[in-house]
Amino acid sequence: MRNILYILFLIVTTTVHSQEKMTTAEAAILKEKVKSQAAGTKTITSDFVQYKHLDFLTNDIVTKGNLAFKTPNLVKWSYVEPFVYSVIFKEENLYINDEGQKSDVNLSSSKLFKQLNKLIVNSVKGDMFNTDEFKISYFKIKENSDIHFIPINKKISKYIKAFHIQFNSKGDVIEIKMIEPSDDYTRIVFSNRVLNKTVSDAVFAH
Amino acid sequence: MRYLLISICTCLIGCVSYVKKNNFKEVTITDKVVYNPYFSDNSKDYVYKAKIDVYNKSFGGIFIVKKIAEANHRVVFTTEMGSKIFDFTFHNDDFKVNYILEEMDKKLFLNILEKDFRLLIRENVSIFSKSVKGMSEMLETKILGKKYYYAFKQGKLNSITRVKMGKEKLQLIFSDISDATAKNIQILHHNIKLTIKLKSIN
Repeated sequence: MRNILYILFLIVTTTVHSQEKMTTAEAAILKEKVKSQAAGTKTITSDFVQYKHLDFLTNDIVTKGNLAFKTPNLVKWSYVEPFVYSVIFKEENLYINDEGQKSDVNLSSSKLFKQLNKLIVNSVKGDMFNTDEFKISYFKIKENSDIHFIPINKKISKYIKAFHIQFNSKGDVIEIKMIEPSDDYTRIVFSNRVLNKTVSDAVFAH
Repeated sequence: MRYLLISICTCLIGCVSYVKKNNFKEVTITDKVVYNPYFSDNSKDYVYKAKIDVYNKSFGGIFIVKKIAEANHRVVFTTEMGSKIFDFTFHNDDFKVNYILEEMDKKLFLNILEKDFRLLIRENVSIFSKSVKGMSEMLETKILGKKYYYAFKQGKLNSITRVKMGKEKLQLIFSDISDATAKNIQILHHNIKLTIKLKSIN
C-alpha cells in the first residue's frame, strides 16, 4: 500500500511539473512574437551559465561566461570561469582565443560544420522556426515556452538529437538545451540579457 | 649470431643505462605493486581543461575521467562548448569507443589514445626493480611486455616513463599534486609529435 501511494505521489508530482502542449493558435502567436523580436534585434549581450551533463558524472560541469551578438551574424562566445576562452563566429571562420593562444578555423570546406554553426548563431536569437530543417513541438511551462527542434537532416542529427529552446513571455531566449544522440546534453541558461545596446565591432576583432 | 649478440648487448646497455644515467642506485624491492592514485576515487569527477598538439594542429577542450567501478573508467573529451569529440570506456582489458568524431576516427590515432589513457588510469602495476636517489624512487615495471618507470619524489608519483633501449619514448608528468589529485598532467610523446596538456578545473 505504501509503495502504491509512493508511486501515485511520483506520478502526480511528475504530472504537475510536466509540460503542457501548446494549441496551434498559441504556437502561431509565439512564433510570430519570436520572429518579430528576432527581426528587431540588432545586438544582444548576455551572461550565461553552461551545464554539461554527462550521465556517468556525479555533477554537471559548470562553466560561465558572456555572449555578444550583432546583426547579421556575428557571435562571440566567451568563457571566463573556470578558464578564459573565446570563440568568434564570423562569416565562414571561427576565431579562437584559448587563454591567449589565438587560432582560426575555416569552415568553408565543410558543409556540415557550416550548418552546425548556423544553428548555433540562430539559436542565440531563437529564430529556428524552419520546418524544412526541423520537426518542431511547442510546450508551455507556466508563462514561458519550451520549443523542441528535432533536426530532419540525418547528418546533423548524428551530432544533435534535439535543441530545446525556452522563451520568456516577451519571446526572449532564456535557455538552450542541446541534446546529443546519447541523451547527454549541454544546457545554457542566460541572464542579464540586454537587447539593442551599441556593441562595437572591436568586440569581434581577433 | 653476431648480430643477435650485438642486439642483446645494445639492449642490456640501453636498459641499464636509463637508471644509471639518472644516477639511481638499485635497492631491494619492499612493495610488490606500484599504485597510481590520480584517477582512483569513484566519488570524484576528474575534469581538466585540455590542450592537444598533434603534428602541426592544436586544439583545446575539456577532458573528463570518471572511475565507474573497479578497473572501469570513462574517458571523454568535449569541446569547450560541450560537443563530444570522443567518449571511451575502459573495462579491465576491454576498450570501447562509445563515440568519436568521424574526422578523428583513425585506427592509428585511436591506438595511441587507448594506450596513453590506459596508462594514465591504471592503478596497480607489478614492480620488477627499485632504485633510489636521495628522496626519489624509480620503480621499474612491465606492462604488456614493455618497460615503464614510475618515478616518485617525496612519496608522490611525479612521472611514468616508457623507455626503450635506454631512451624515453613516452612520459606522463604529474605536477601540482594535492589530495591524490594531479592538477597538471602532461602526456609527452618523444617519437611522434603528440602532446596532451591537462589542467584541473574542478
